[in-house]
Amino acid sequence: MEIEEENKRSHLNVIMWIIPVLLFCIFVLMILFTPTFQDSAFKVKSWFTGFQVSEETTTEGIEKLEVRSQRNINSIELKLNNLKPVKPYIVVNTTENRYSLRNADGDTVRTGGCSTGKNEVLIAGKKRIIFKTPKGMFTVLNKQENRPWIKPDWAFIEDGLPIPSARSASRIDYNTLGDYALSIGDGYMLHGTLYQRFLGLPVTHGCVRLGDKDLDVIYHTLSKGSKVFIY
Amino acid sequence: MKNKLTFWIITSVLSVIVIYALVNTVLMPVLTKNPLPKAIIQTTSDEKPKNSKKDNDDSKDEVISEPVVSGNSKDAKAKLFELRKREVLLHSRLELANEDSMYLVLDLISNTAILEMKGVMLHESRILESSVSNSIRMYHTEALLNWMAEPFMLKRADATIPKIEYVEKIAPKDTIEANKTVVEPAPAKLGDVYIVMDFDRNLRLVISQSEKPDQDGKKIINAMRRKYQEVEVRRSLQSLVKFNRQPAMPQISIVISKSDAVIFYKALPVRPKMIIRM
Repeated sequence: MEIEEENKRSHLNVIMWIIPVLLFCIFVLMILFTPTFQDSAFKVKSWFTGFQVSEETTTEGIEKLEVRSQRNINSIELKLNNLKPVKPYIVVNTTENRYSLRNADGDTVRTGGCSTGKNEVLIAGKKRIIFKTPKGMFTVLNKQENRPWIKPDWAFIEDGLPIPSARSASRIDYNTLGDYALSIGDGYMLHGTLYQRFLGLPVTHGCVRLGDKDLDVIYHTLSKGSKVFIY
Repeated sequence: MKNKLTFWIITSVLSVIVIYALVNTVLMPVLTKNPLPKAIIQTTSDEKPKNSKKDNDDSKDEVISEPVVSGNSKDAKAKLFELRKREVLLHSRLELANEDSMYLVLDLISNTAILEMKGVMLHESRILESSVSNSIRMYHTEALLNWMAEPFMLKRADATIPKIEYVEKIAPKDTIEANKTVVEPAPAKLGDVYIVMDFDRNLRLVISQSEKPDQDGKKIINAMRRKYQEVEVRRSLQSLVKFNRQPAMPQISIVISKSDAVIFYKALPVRPKMIIRM
């Protein structure tokens, strides 16, 4: 009988010690997962708050505010629509090397692969030349058919060739840009390529290279002043 | 007897510690601190002063300084609140569209993340999963409208992938060396993506990929998660001494495809702005 009593007491002792262990665990969990505890507390708090009531107004008052709000919304929507391009435009995705040609309503009329900047830094002595496609909104400044490429200095540096004089004939290349070129400023263009197999890969020095058929459609869809979005 | 005394001492001390920690790290920050700080309204030079406005068509000031209204109908109040939320969002969108930068539109109603510029949608991604902290979700008050009144601007971003990756190449000395260094281009391998973006006004956006990461990716992502958890633990421990725990940042977590996450992260400028529709 006494042994049984002793056993019972020792069991009770063990059970009793679960309480401080539990308290310690709660403390540790609270420190480890404070944001979760706080988030739950915010939920509880919201049961007592909800929509704040500061003053009583009539239903007519609410209607008046509604009308004003709706009028503001219509006005802003109109302003937003006015910002959108009025001509067909092109969107170039430099991460996936894809383009999407859209009409003035924003509907996609053609998509396809293209090549954009290879994100390379060419180190020539103290010079560091960066080959990347700029991002942002650009405008087609001019369109040219069979435009020759006037090779800049980096084209020679990259090929290990001596840099010729500015007016040297060796700078003129009649094949590289393809049938059409659309200039978007700072020497960047949307043009054709001899390396059609690289379309879809980042291989250019900053320009956007397009396949022959795509370029043909883009050239005849976009006009001077059309927007070019590159991201 | 001695055992019992020890038990009561330990239990009492632990109870006090737990209650102290609960009050200090959970209750006080939640009850006394506002997790949604008010937006500072940017006034542009072309905006007329508030007093001179007779016909308010797009005034941000007026949008958010409206007194809180309580009508007789709960539905009417809710409708008005939704209208004003939409108005605030559109105003922010217009403000961003007038700038020359790309921005992010997080639409938690239609579950889409949109990369936009000048009001033109450049890239759209379906949000496969999303979660919003209760500190944002549970507020249907002026505090939420004031918090959302301006676009959120990124303060700091942390990601498992680089924003821009440049390959350095030494210029060849001659054509022979140039021919030797020619490498056949290949598509870049996409690393696993986990992005944490801390915006102003106390907002954190976490972008995860829907695809299962590989072993290396898992390690990197877990390390990043741990890093942020450690910060919170340190803050909680410090607050036990200093009694200054701030509420954890209200967080929006979204899961999108890996390729879309890469596109967004690489395309957005260093300090992008974001608007939320919810």
